[in-house]
Amino acid sequence: MSSGREPMTTDQTPAEPGKPTDETLSGPAEGAVDGPEDAGESAEAAQPFTGRQRLVNGLWPPRLTRAQLIVALLLFGLGLGLAIQVRSTNESSVLRGARQEDLVRILDELDNRTERLHEEKQRLEKQQTELENSSDQAEEARKQTAQKERQLAVLAGTVAAQGPGITMKIDASGSAVESDMLLDAVQELRAAGAEAIQIGKVRVIASTYFSDVGGAVEIDGRKVTQPYVIKVIGKPEDLEPALNIPGGVVQSLEKEQATVSIERSEKIVVDALRSAKRPDYARSSSR
Amino acid sequence: MIAVLGLVVGVVVGLVVRPVVPTVVEPYLPIAVVAALDAVFGGFRAMLDGIFDDKVFVVSFLSNVVVAALIVFLGDKLGVGAQLSTGVVVVLGIRIFSNAAAIRRHVFRA
Repeated sequence: MSSGREPMTTDQTPAEPGKPTDETLSGPAEGAVDGPEDAGESAEAAQPFTGRQRLVNGLWPPRLTRAQLIVALLLFGLGLGLAIQVRSTNESSVLRGARQEDLVRILDELDNRTERLHEEKQRLEKQQTELENSSDQAEEARKQTAQKERQLAVLAGTVAAQGPGITMKIDASGSAVESDMLLDAVQELRAAGAEAIQIGKVRVIASTYFSDVGGAVEIDGRKVTQPYVIKVIGKPEDLEPALNIPGGVVQSLEKEQATVSIERSEKIVVDALRSAKRPDYARSSSR
Repeated sequence: MIAVLGLVVGVVVGLVVRPVVPTVVEPYLPIAVVAALDAVFGGFRAMLDGIFDDKVFVVSFLSNVVVAALIVFLGDKLGVGAQLSTGVVVVLGIRIFSNAAAIRRHVFRA
């Protein structure tokens, strides 16, 4: 430092000290950065070697000195630590090198996430239950609809029906049994709770009509021959008395010289069918 | 030359053997490695300056590692471990850079 100051203070040799000041200024400046760890002030600093020459000298030829061995040992330790750290950072998860507070934070986040997922699970389970209930309800509704459809099909005459009931035979040969008599019988049976009625080969439904054509009876435009056999499904204990009441159907028919026989049965099969007609104008008002 | 061999052998052994680091030492290993790197750069620069002394190097290397680990340990105890280790890394990084600059001037003369 003192040698550096001299040219600066004396200013008498302007040309020469210019370069030395630069070098001497840069020299100590670097030396000041050295820090405490490498400030080994040995006498070698005065040697005229440049840094590059020293590097080459240090690398080749390899000398087995104490300094080299110690430095090698320390560098071995450094390399070991470096490799371990790099490997542990690379191979294992982020958690391995994480600090305690980071771990706590990560744990908190995981807890929160678990909670959220749990809530979502509960929500979805609730939804599932609701959907199952609603599908159960839909199934129930479907069953009821199917049942109702079967009942309506029996009423509409599109399917065969069987069950307890009566068979009524009207033998009116040579007598004037006309369609109104049959209509009375049908209405009496319906009032008594008949569920399916068949006259001859014709199923009697809501739109059935009776007509007299040339001394014979037509039902829904189809001729019915004598004797008229009326199969009725319903409660026999209700149907038969309804026909036999004084002044009722049977008496009226017998008044016209017709013979009427009524027979109860546990199994009446009404198998005359008719196709379902699709109404042209009427539409169901319910959904 | 032997020193460079020592570094290479250390890296190879660390990669091959996969030694298990004790859990107590684990958080201080990275910061200690950085501190050791700083000491090594300082020593390298001193060698180029021609003022290298092995005793100084050993002492500085070990004290660097110990002090760095100590600072981190203290930071963990005080609850500012992350910030303090960041600070240590920044300081050591600056020192490594300045030493690397000096080495560069020596080796490349630029």
